[in-house]
Amino acid sequence: MSGIARAKWLLAAPVGAMVFGFFMVPYLNIVVMSLRQPSTTQAYGPGFTTDNFVKAATDPLYVVTLLDTLRLAAMITLITLALAYPVAFHLARTESRWRGVLYGLVLSPLLVGVVIRTFGWIILLANNGLINQAMRQLDLPRLQLMYNEFGVVLALVHIFLPFMVLPLMGAIQGIDPRLEEAARSLGADKRRVFLRVLLPLSMPGIQSGCILVFVLACGAYVTPLLLGAGRVHTTTTVVVHQLELFLWPFGAALALVLSLVGLMVVWLYARLSGRVLRGQS
Amino acid sequence: MKLWRGLFGGLIGAVYVFLMLPIAIVVMASFNSTRALRFPPEGFSLRWYVAFFESEPFMESFRLSLVLGVAATVASVLIGTPAALYYVRFAGRWREAFRLYVLAPLLLPEILTAIALLFFYYQIGIGTKSVAGLFIGHVVVCIPFVFLQVTASLYNLSPSLEEAARSLGASPWMTFLRITLPLIKPGVINGALFAFIISFDNVSISLLLKGIGSTPLPMQLFDYLRWGFDPTTAAASVVSILMTLGAVVLVDRLVGLRAMRF
Repeated sequence: MSGIARAKWLLAAPVGAMVFGFFMVPYLNIVVMSLRQPSTTQAYGPGFTTDNFVKAATDPLYVVTLLDTLRLAAMITLITLALAYPVAFHLARTESRWRGVLYGLVLSPLLVGVVIRTFGWIILLANNGLINQAMRQLDLPRLQLMYNEFGVVLALVHIFLPFMVLPLMGAIQGIDPRLEEAARSLGADKRRVFLRVLLPLSMPGIQSGCILVFVLACGAYVTPLLLGAGRVHTTTTVVVHQLELFLWPFGAALALVLSLVGLMVVWLYARLSGRVLRGQS
Repeated sequence: MKLWRGLFGGLIGAVYVFLMLPIAIVVMASFNSTRALRFPPEGFSLRWYVAFFESEPFMESFRLSLVLGVAATVASVLIGTPAALYYVRFAGRWREAFRLYVLAPLLLPEILTAIALLFFYYQIGIGTKSVAGLFIGHVVVCIPFVFLQVTASLYNLSPSLEEAARSLGASPWMTFLRITLPLIKPGVINGALFAFIISFDNVSISLLLKGIGSTPLPMQLFDYLRWGFDPTTAAASVVSILMTLGAVVLVDRLVGLRAMRF
């Protein structure tokens, strides 16, 4: 019997060791690193300090970048929600024989790497890209579509859309269509059915989709770097830049401040939307 | 009424076009005969594919990504499957904590995990000199996907089948090999598929942990894109898309695709 007890424990041992050694310890190490003295000749100097956190949380340059990152993430989340809801609703309720194909279309971008999708947007949006070539042929002025927030938001909305559609679809599928019919037959118009029946009942899906996309958007790095091309700064691009400058303790502190603020926003949002949920049920 | 229905349908159609647009554009660029992509496209050519397969840096990255993807998949299946078995069948009081622990690499931004590993590797002295560090980084972010898939298929498997085998005298190991494994095979294979795609397309981990002379394909694309436009990158992208698509079709034929539930 003790042999089996030991065998059970052995099942969890590999994952336990792997995640501990190469995830937990490195993350704790970031916390230690963020408290180290900066040094110009080594990765860090002797002794400990809280200066890195003070700088990350008070220097206007970094505070503005952090607020920009949160603002962009919130914008991306809202746009993604607005685009994903009709698609999720359609996919959840359609009886078309194309349903499988449409579902595949929504998920297929997940199979294409982020760099490749960003590349597609560069070809379209660049100053001499496809859209601006068409504008020139029509004798219209050139549009600045890239190297600014517009391009970054557009591409990130594209990348995160499937992550919003999936939880929304799950929530909408769980709503009995007869509830809408009942509301309709009792005289509610379409707008009221949506606002008073569908929206409240799909709130759990909205909540998990929004949290997922917001967290992903806060941590996005490749797309802001390639489409922002040094003109759009997010906290992640600034953090990696600190690493390139070998300012490791400060980079670590900045990364931790971003994670903490991001988690706080998610927590606040979950509380608020939880209250809305309870208020309406 | 009709107007609203039309607008609604139009919006949905527009979102589908939006989803496919950048991918279609990359495919178009890879078959374009001239260096700069014009609209409308000028002529069909396979020259960028020839350039890709003749390019030593691209081929080296392609080989590295394949080897890394397969190795990370095998490792994360070997680690993630027993973890799922433990979680569904044996975990006691700390069940939910264990689940959170295994899924943690999925819940925190990958770029932060990459930074954490980079610092760690430098402090224990291996730095980015060895591909092993890159490999471990990939395994860490792949494990949650195997875990989620295998967990889902274990939930659909009644423990009484395993109990029957045990009561008929099979050893735990024999029960696992002859009963459990064949029945959860679709979950394991789907988990392996996700792990391979996550590793093959990964940028954030590879960005910080790649060593000199060991650049995976997505990173090679990233470097080319950062410093200019070269249609060879479009051909490389299409080859990379075909690789993942091939893996998806293969798994679908073998055991059927399963959606990922979080």
